[in-house]
Amino acid sequence: MAYDDLRSFLDTLDKQGQLLRITEGLSPEPDLAAAANAVTRLGDTAPALLFNNVKGFTNPRIAMNVHGSWANHALALGLPKDTGIKAQVDEFSARWAKFPVKPEWRDNPPWARNTQEGDDINIFEVLPLFRLNDGDGGFYIDKAAVISRDPNDPENSDKQNVGMYRIEVKGARKLGLQPVPMHDIAQHLRKAEEKGEDLPIAITLGNDPVISIVASTPMEYDQNEYELAGALRGAPAPIAKAPLTGLPVPWGSEVVIEGVIEGRRREIEGPFGEFTGHYSGGRNMTVIRIDKISYRDNLVFEHLYLGMPWTEIDYLMAANTCVPLYEQLKQDFPEVQSVNATYTHGLAVIVSTKKRYGGFARTVGMRVLTTPHGLGYAKIVIVVDEDVDPFNLPQVMWALTAKVNPAGDLITIPNLSVLELDPGSQPPGITDKLIIDATTPVEPDNRGHYGQQVHDLPEAAAWLAKLQSLIASAR
Amino acid sequence: MMICPRCAYDSIDRLYTSPVAGVWEVLQCQQCLYCWRTTEPDRRTKRDAYPEQFKMTLEDIKNAPEVPSIPPLISQN
Repeated sequence: MAYDDLRSFLDTLDKQGQLLRITEGLSPEPDLAAAANAVTRLGDTAPALLFNNVKGFTNPRIAMNVHGSWANHALALGLPKDTGIKAQVDEFSARWAKFPVKPEWRDNPPWARNTQEGDDINIFEVLPLFRLNDGDGGFYIDKAAVISRDPNDPENSDKQNVGMYRIEVKGARKLGLQPVPMHDIAQHLRKAEEKGEDLPIAITLGNDPVISIVASTPMEYDQNEYELAGALRGAPAPIAKAPLTGLPVPWGSEVVIEGVIEGRRREIEGPFGEFTGHYSGGRNMTVIRIDKISYRDNLVFEHLYLGMPWTEIDYLMAANTCVPLYEQLKQDFPEVQSVNATYTHGLAVIVSTKKRYGGFARTVGMRVLTTPHGLGYAKIVIVVDEDVDPFNLPQVMWALTAKVNPAGDLITIPNLSVLELDPGSQPPGITDKLIIDATTPVEPDNRGHYGQQVHDLPEAAAWLAKLQSLIASAR
Repeated sequence: MMICPRCAYDSIDRLYTSPVAGVWEVLQCQQCLYCWRTTEPDRRTKRDAYPEQFKMTLEDIKNAPEVPSIPPLISQN
C-alpha cells in the first residue's frame, strides 16, 4: 500500500492500533517532548502520538513518533506490523533492487491552498513550534525533507538532493540549517558559496512515510531519492513543482517552505540534542531566508523527539542505513552476507561475510570505511563469519568473545574523518577508527585453534520444529 | 530588567505571542539568539536556574566553530 501523504498513513496507524490520541490539555513544554521521549521507552511496538490540545494554540495537530517503533516502520513499508527487524531489512533490500522508479508529476497539490510570502511570513503562525530538550538553543524542525539542486548542474535530477537536516527556527522568516560536511547538501552549498551565490531550497514537512525514509537514507551523490521512494512504495512517488523555486517537492506534504541558504553567511546556532545522545554545542552555521510558505488546511505538524538512543530517529535511520552499505559492499565483495548498521546511524557497523582467504574479512572491514557513508560514520566495524547473524547481538557477542585475539584482530586506523557531532572525536571531525576481525581465521592465516567448532547437530532443526509443535499442542 | 537565561544579555525581543491571548510569549536573546517560551520551566527561562553546562558567553559565540567552513571564492573568469 503506497501512502501519498502523512494523513493517510496516520489513518492506517490508527486502524492498526498504532496511533495514540492525546486530547487532554498540555503545556507545549515540557509535556510534548516528554511524552514523545517516554513513548520510545515502550519498545519495538510503541505507537505514534497525535496531540490536539496544547495551551496557547488554537486547534493544533501535532504528530510525533510516526516512525518510532519497528511496528510503525513495518507499516510505513506496507508490511504487517509484527514483521521482524531482519525481515524488514531484507524486504528493503529486495525493493532496492527495483531502483530507480521515476516519480510522477501531479497537479493541484493540497499544500497550495494557503500561502504566506515575503515580509508577511511568520513561521510561528503556521507551525505550533516547541522545544525538545533542555539545552536546545531554541525550537527546531527536525523531520523535514530538504530539496536542493547541484548549482553547477541544476538540470541533472540525479544530482538533486532530498535530505533530512536539523533546522533551528531563529525568527519569523529566518532559520538555521546544519549541513554536515559529509552530506549531499553540503556539496551543493559549497558549490554555490564558491561562486558567491545563495542556494535555493525547499523544506517540506509532514511527508508521506516513505519520503522521510528516503530523505534519511545515505544514498550516493548521484542517486535520486524520489526514485528510491518509488521502488520502496511499489508505485511512482507523486511530486509537484514548488511555486517559487521550481524545485520538485512531494505532492502530499503538509507544508512547503521555500527560500535560500544565504551564501557565505554563518551565525550562532544550537546547541541541539542530537542522535548521538549528546548535544552538538553551539556552532556558527548557515542562515536560511524564507521567501514563501505554502500549507494545507488544518495542517498536521510532524515532529521527532531524539535523545539518548533508542528514540524515533534510531528506527527511522536503521534499515535505510544497512541497505546502501550492503549494496555497495556486494559490488566488490559478493561474499558479504548481511550488514547491521542500525546503531547510531552506522557509527557502528556489523558485517557478516564468507572468507575468500586469510586476511579477507578485515579487508571487507576497510571497505566499509571507504564507502560514502563510512566517510562520516563507521567508527567501529565488527566483521563476523557468514554463520553469525549481525542482527542477533548474542551471536555477535559470541563471535567477539571466541573469535577475537586482541593481539592481531584489532585494527585501528588513525585520524580518519567522522561527523563533527561524534562526541568522542578530537578535534571534532577527526577520529581513529577500529575494525574488529571477529571471523574465524582461514588459510594461510593459521592463528588460534579453530579446527573444532561446535555446530548445531544435524537433527536439531527437525527437533526445533517438533518442540514448537509439542509446546503449541500442550497449550 | 529581563536578561537572557543563557548569556545574561539584556536585549530581548518578542518573537511571537500565543494565538490564544495571554497564555505565553516566545522571547529571543539578541546576542546568543537563545529562544524560549515564557511558560517553560525555570531551568530554561531563569538565569539563576539555567544549567551551567549550557550557559554561553560572548567569547563562546565568537569562538564557535564554523560548520561547514566557508570555501574560498572561485573566480568566474
